[in-house]
Amino acid sequence: MASRREAPWHGDAGLQPERTDLAWSRTTLSMVIAAAVFLRWLPHHGWFVGTLVGAAVVTALAINLTQKHRFHRAVRGIKHETMDPHIGSTAAVAASVVVLALLGIYTVLFLPLQP
Amino acid sequence: MSEDSSTGAPDPRGRLTSRILRGGTEPDPRFTLANERTFLAWIRTSLALLAGGVAVEAFMAELLGPELRKTISVLLLVLALVIGGGSFFRWVNVERAMRSKAPMPLPLMAPVLAIGGALVAAIMVVFVIARPA
Repeated sequence: MASRREAPWHGDAGLQPERTDLAWSRTTLSMVIAAAVFLRWLPHHGWFVGTLVGAAVVTALAINLTQKHRFHRAVRGIKHETMDPHIGSTAAVAASVVVLALLGIYTVLFLPLQP
Repeated sequence: MSEDSSTGAPDPRGRLTSRILRGGTEPDPRFTLANERTFLAWIRTSLALLAGGVAVEAFMAELLGPELRKTISVLLLVLALVIGGGSFFRWVNVERAMRSKAPMPLPLMAPVLAIGGALVAAIMVVFVIARPA
């Protein structure tokens, strides 16, 4: 998601920054789908499920808002042949998935089904 | 672990990065980006398992008994947990291997996913066969 004003260019015919950008976009979509599936739990397990939906939506939004930053960093990395890996983004997304899974396990095991 | 800078200058990378990814030489940024995409593919796998675990609990109330439903759901969610958490450590390990030009580490999560997936499928097959028509 590059802004047109800055027109970031690079000489990489493998289009690595673009493919990586799309991989992040697909992850955002998966996150939104997970949030939608969590919504199905709402009538069964009550308000607590809202934390799961919220966490997934916030993660998806955070990925989306930082997309441009990561893309530009990747383009600069390809240009200068050296790049700082996106350790903050990867750690945050992995942590979010772990938290979602833990909350999910808690919901299944300890929250009673509502009729 | 030695400082990788040959000039002796302070590490220009971020604090977290220089702490976790010490030593070695800067890899080709293309490999770093490929590693990132592979990490994201594992994350999406984890999210699919997560959605699967929720779906079993939410959509199969009439089909499966409460105990079996809980078992399959928790199994899928634990698998999602292991793969989601493991994907970050794999990402770090691959990044480290690239810095030190070592061979890529084996993906331990692949057999975990295969065995876990097969287990869930086997439980479902047994259930479908044993279920009274």
